[in-house]
Amino acid sequence: MSHQSPETSTLTRRRVVVTGMGIASALGIDEETVWQNLLAGRTGIGPLRSLDASEFKVGIGAEVPEGLVEEKLKTLRRRPMDRALDLAIVAAQDALVQSGLISGEPPYEEQDAAVIMGTGVGSAQNHYAAFTSLFEKGPRGLRPTSLPRCMFNAISAGLTLQYKLTGANYMVVSACTSAANAIGTAYRMIRDGYADTVVTGGSDAFFDRFAFGVWNNIGALSRIADPQKACRPFAIDREGTVLGEGAGVLVLESAEKATERGARIRGEILGYGESSDATHLTSPSPIGQARAMRMALKEANLRPDEIGLINTHGTGTKGNDSCESQSIRDVFGDSTDAVPVVANKSYFGHTLGASGALESISALLSIERGEAPPNLNLENPDPECRLNLVGSKPVSIKRAPAMKNSFGFGGGNGVLILGPGD
Amino acid sequence: MSDQSKEETIIAQLRGILEESSTSEYDWDSFGPQTTIESLGLDSLTILDLLYDIEEVIGIHLEAKEVLNVTTLREITALLIENGA
Repeated sequence: MSHQSPETSTLTRRRVVVTGMGIASALGIDEETVWQNLLAGRTGIGPLRSLDASEFKVGIGAEVPEGLVEEKLKTLRRRPMDRALDLAIVAAQDALVQSGLISGEPPYEEQDAAVIMGTGVGSAQNHYAAFTSLFEKGPRGLRPTSLPRCMFNAISAGLTLQYKLTGANYMVVSACTSAANAIGTAYRMIRDGYADTVVTGGSDAFFDRFAFGVWNNIGALSRIADPQKACRPFAIDREGTVLGEGAGVLVLESAEKATERGARIRGEILGYGESSDATHLTSPSPIGQARAMRMALKEANLRPDEIGLINTHGTGTKGNDSCESQSIRDVFGDSTDAVPVVANKSYFGHTLGASGALESISALLSIERGEAPPNLNLENPDPECRLNLVGSKPVSIKRAPAMKNSFGFGGGNGVLILGPGD
Repeated sequence: MSDQSKEETIIAQLRGILEESSTSEYDWDSFGPQTTIESLGLDSLTILDLLYDIEEVIGIHLEAKEVLNVTTLREITALLIENGA
């Protein structure tokens, strides 16, 4: 068996806590605004601003409100370089300031923290620019810095350079599971003593003609033109997902170090499970998903009835939501009906490799504040999705661990168990 | 055209290039021949992009080794004039 179970681990297992959270999303780039938008049921999805929608089958998406990222970058003495990196830089700044590891504006002092980020399409904006130039001018049209700008680890490397973080830096690339896998990897690094601090999460931006175009043509996007109604997770009349750009960044630390520093503990990573379906490149399997959920629960040493919230992958596609409902019911059994279930993609859009991070932050905020945000557009829940889905108003939840599911094309499944903080 | 007016033209072109491509914030009002490479946040890598853009916009190819020890834009301008700008 390749997975080392908690019982057989010979390593000292350390507690891993969350001391900082940062967001760059269509709902806003500061935690309070994002939370208020979630509670009020305000979606970040709108008509596309950064692309000529007339070229595509779908003309909507969830974009960060105009100018916010650029303004924030100015305070960091930066100008835009690549959208995914820019979003990550913005989100990481809030997370690091909140954790107390940096204060305010640069310059920053070097510190020993690793950076493990997830992404689905990486530096897509720079890739598109480079390919455009290549096709127009030939190989000589490629800028000398095309290589470092286009490498997928430009995001994690850019964070180390901006914030002077000297631990390991690399990317986890597993489509929509990327951020959950990145956070899981970061958690394990700290848990097993390979790092004390890891900046982790995910970032993705794909409103360019190539990345958005390929998503248009695979048939997974909602064709409902009204941005308010387009993304309808778990509803019987759901038609597909809606893409969104964004970044979510968490600062994870060993509980020991966080306590020693006097940092505010915002939450805890209690367990992580991962698996592959090994059945189909794009169609999910309830067996693989359930395996990851069980692994995460086992590692957290929790029973299903001890989970107080499930933040689903919930894409709003026919295939995902039915499959995920089945796998949740398989794992939670009789306790399924007692656990409130939310889907955040009707707010943030499907932010692919960032979704696991943004939605983990949403779940941590729910635990902290005792409320779960409404599910949008769920007037008619799908009878095939027999879950305790939160309705059109926020609901109170108990202060208990939450499960965050992320599943991706490629058959990868990543599940996090998130716990309360101080 | 005198060397001075050539310099002014080139400086304006360099400002256009760098304003477009720079990833660092810079006070562009103080931009001029005396501006240092360091203050623009250019390093050994990003200066290659500058040379690429210079060739695109001004049509003069400078080798990286020619600008290895350059510290100000005035020196880059002089090199461009020397090479036929």
